Amino acid sequence: MSLVALEGLTKRYPGGVTALDGLTLTVDPGIVGLVGSNGAGKSTLIKILLGLLDASSGSAAVLNLDVATQGLAIRQLVGYMPEHDCLPSDISATDFVNHMARMSGLPSASARERTAEVLRHVGLFEERYRPMGGYSTGMKQRVKLAQGLVHDPRLLLLDEPTNGLDPAGRDEMLDLIERTGSDFGIAIIMASHLLGEIERVCDYLVAIDAGRLLQAAALGTFTQHTGTLIVEVDERPADLAAQLEADGYTVRVDGSQVLVVIRGDETYDHVRDRVIELDLALTRVEPRRASLEDLFRDDVPGEEAA
Amino acid sequence: MTSAPLGGRQRSDHGSSIYDLGYRGYEGPRLGRRAAVAALLRHTLRTAYGLGRSARSKIMPVGLVLLATLPALLAVGVIVLFAQFAQSDAAAGAADALSPVRYSTVFPFTAVLVFLFSAAQAPELFGRDQLANTLPLYFSRAISRSDYAVARMLGLLIALLVLVLAPQLILFIGRVLVAPDVMTGLGDELPQLPTALIVGFIIALVVGSLAAAIAALTPRRAYATVAIVAVFLIPNVFAAILVSLDIGVFGQLAVLLSPADVLDGVNAFLFDARAENITVRRAGLDGWVYLLAAAAWTAGSLIVLLRRYQRLAT
Repeated sequence: MSLVALEGLTKRYPGGVTALDGLTLTVDPGIVGLVGSNGAGKSTLIKILLGLLDASSGSAAVLNLDVATQGLAIRQLVGYMPEHDCLPSDISATDFVNHMARMSGLPSASARERTAEVLRHVGLFEERYRPMGGYSTGMKQRVKLAQGLVHDPRLLLLDEPTNGLDPAGRDEMLDLIERTGSDFGIAIIMASHLLGEIERVCDYLVAIDAGRLLQAAALGTFTQHTGTLIVEVDERPADLAAQLEADGYTVRVDGSQVLVVIRGDETYDHVRDRVIELDLALTRVEPRRASLEDLFRDDVPGEEAA
Repeated sequence: MTSAPLGGRQRSDHGSSIYDLGYRGYEGPRLGRRAAVAALLRHTLRTAYGLGRSARSKIMPVGLVLLATLPALLAVGVIVLFAQFAQSDAAAGAADALSPVRYSTVFPFTAVLVFLFSAAQAPELFGRDQLANTLPLYFSRAISRSDYAVARMLGLLIALLVLVLAPQLILFIGRVLVAPDVMTGLGDELPQLPTALIVGFIIALVVGSLAAAIAALTPRRAYATVAIVAVFLIPNVFAAILVSLDIGVFGQLAVLLSPADVLDGVNAFLFDARAENITVRRAGLDGWVYLLAAAAWTAGSLIVLLRRYQRLAT
């Protein structure tokens, strides 16, 4: 069963802004990172999956249920943590999460039990009886996560879950998400504009940019060797690049680094010889690993988008 | 320590267990949409009376109910006194007939309190979730947007019904107990009860839906409160002027533009009593016209309310 299946999904807002542009994609259960810069369409996609927004054209299915016709059924199986503030300030986390459990259709005794359970899971203890207005951002984010988990969803949709957190809080939140996903078997789709977070937590990545699909693949495939050699020299990288280019290599200069497309084992020897000939101080030679940032960069030599 | 730890994952080799309860899934029943709507309605009703909230949020609603029951309590007190000291049943009956507080006059006496209750509590029920941005959490759950609006509206309606019917109930109990014997009392008073219930329901429906529609339009509590008070207390002034100008049927129909006057007309019509409100008396419309107007106000309000929640961006 697929977690999410999109077919030509398009969303145009009144006023002509196209947030999603013909997105076609199938995602299997797991911890899925949804990455893209601000305004790439991440939140729009999540809201369409939840039925909070209607698509302009195309179709989307969550857990094999159609978003357009089976929204209610989807929403019973899905938890949602929005990006923005969404907590009333004058009631306690316990009362709020309990209320949200009832809104998901849990009976009252179960709602209380689950509330205690998830608040403990997210690490909220004595504070949970205090009004939420006095909470720190970190505590608020925990409550937001808890209300999305309280009905034990099959899929959790997180929109920028680390928004506004300091580095320590960020680490804790990411740990929590990772544990929720890997230990308890709840599928997660997590939107973030920070690649580092996605890299840390997710096992599958969907990258979108300007509403179009950039890349969707298991995370491992993004960080394999790229077939490029990084040659770092102290001075005159341009000279080395010119020489290597003259030798027929595809080369690009990036600061003090010269990126050379590897043609075989002899490339290493060749580079070494040229460095010696030019009398350059060599700092580093290393096969380049792809980083997720490359997704959003199209000028890396020899690594045309797959 | 031979039994498996509940959801425990870490177990040492020495036969002892570390009880890490961890996270457990939920296997129990999911009651779905209907139960969620019912829970929201109940929650709304409780919130309207400040239950489960701070003591401060109880002051306004509970105070208004107490105030609304005051005339009925006084009336019952007077009837009791007369029943004790009057020389004859006939004299007591005469005093009873003179009492200004009757089933048909309870609403005219307490109307302002009903309006104030709606102005104070509807913004709390409809504006809060907009102000705190909580609506996406509701709309991403087992309920639809319309479910939310209807459940909130019905919660407000029932809260208003309590306020409207509490004085009628006191009057009813008082009059039954004062009667020479309970059976006679019940025989006299019971026939009045259905009318009181129907009128009470119509009042709660019109006031509740109108206040809900206005409150839903803005997250700002103060604006909503002022607007609700205004809609119940300002059109009557214009209606009074237009009706007293005596410019024909359109002048008379102006009374229907004032929800407060419409409710007065409904109250007088269904109790078959003289309207307390001078504008309503002067307009001289047939009683059923007020019923139609009440239906129109309700329908219009509900349309505004539901459309607002359909369109509210989340």
